Amino acid sequence: MDAILLPGQPVALPPRAPKPQLGPGAYVRDDTVRASLLGLPKIEGTTLTIPRVRPHPPAPNSVILGSVTRLSPLQAFLSISVVDGVPLPAGEEFTGVIRSQDVRATEKDRVKIGDCFRGGDVVRGVVISLGDARSYFITTARNDLGVIFATSEAGATLEPVSWQEMRCPKTGKIEKRKCAKPEGL
Amino acid sequence: MAQSGFDRRRINGPEESFAPLYEDEEAQDQWKVGRLRLGRNPDNIRPIFLQPGLIDQANGSAYIETGNTKIACAIYGPRQSKNVAFHDKGRLNVELKFTPFSCPKRRAPIRDAEDRSIAMAIHQAILPSVRLETLPKATIDIFITVIEADGIEGCIASGSIAASAALIDAGIEVFGLVASTSAAIVGDDVWLDPTHEEASNSKGTFVLSCMPALGTLTSLWQNGVITPTELITCMDTCEKQCAEMHAVVAQTLRETVTVS
Repeated sequence: MDAILLPGQPVALPPRAPKPQLGPGAYVRDDTVRASLLGLPKIEGTTLTIPRVRPHPPAPNSVILGSVTRLSPLQAFLSISVVDGVPLPAGEEFTGVIRSQDVRATEKDRVKIGDCFRGGDVVRGVVISLGDARSYFITTARNDLGVIFATSEAGATLEPVSWQEMRCPKTGKIEKRKCAKPEGL
Repeated sequence: MAQSGFDRRRINGPEESFAPLYEDEEAQDQWKVGRLRLGRNPDNIRPIFLQPGLIDQANGSAYIETGNTKIACAIYGPRQSKNVAFHDKGRLNVELKFTPFSCPKRRAPIRDAEDRSIAMAIHQAILPSVRLETLPKATIDIFITVIEADGIEGCIASGSIAASAALIDAGIEVFGLVASTSAAIVGDDVWLDPTHEEASNSKGTFVLSCMPALGTLTSLWQNGVITPTELITCMDTCEKQCAEMHAVVAQTLRETVTVS
């Protein structure tokens, strides 16, 4: 198990062990487990994977970072630039959309997109589905999801003061956002 | 080549131009029917150089040389599809281009029918090896540039190998590495990896692509007059050569992992 495997090469499994579940990088063909990526196989618990950190498209339950590119009364469009902590190459961003019913878990019918996001905000969200042909469906309906970086009208970086308010350190003005709970709180 | 009309996106030279025609000074050294192959045995291929990971801004890339054929391949993606309906499997696009200086006769930079048919042959060779079901809604774009060409069959075979190596370099999941070999029927012999001159003197040419790790073929491409018996002989010879080539490419890819 310390040899680099090529795609198509059978993976040598430990004898008298239960069959592992297959994660990314391996597949079964004719009852043989084979590699589908170049690298070293690794067994974590009961899952066999060939780990490789590379930019990949969003998948359901991926944590993404994106910047708001467009707003409409019912949804906000994101340009997804980080997927599961791995930045996508420049020019290869994916499009995501946050619908008004996915902004928060409470008072869904009272959500106003203009009070939650502005153009240019950086948002952390979770992919809930592949969506339609153009966009992935993103949700921020968790305390740790939402706007993590925003710029005020005066050009300063806003500081979150509550779950739906941010304050400008320059002018003291309060702006409304759906804030992400900062890490470490 | 003659251009019809004024191209507003390029600097326009003369409307028509032709390469100089030289007197055949080497006519005596040229090959004739019945003679042995010049320079190598019928079952020998030209020396191969393969290097993955040369293009920085591409997600995966590979450069391959076989004799006088030089091909660079770049892969971008998986990235978002545009203007396409929803599809739950990924899409694979192959685009091939000859540089204007890649052939003895200058090729116009505009894409022509031959580029498209060769791109389709390479696409057919590597499509069965890619696990597109792991990439919903995404597109993989492969761009192949032929920097120097010596035989169209050699371009298809080398381009397929370079594309497969680039896919692995990009970290895209594949069922196996694709190896590809071309051959030509000259007289009663099967000559592997023909050059342009050998291919034009042959009565039939043949390109076989397969995944040696799985023992499956991915593509067959035949041109000219080949009898079924010759075809079977050709396939056996090419399949053996693909297995050897697979080992060479595999070793090259392993070295990239060790280095990085």
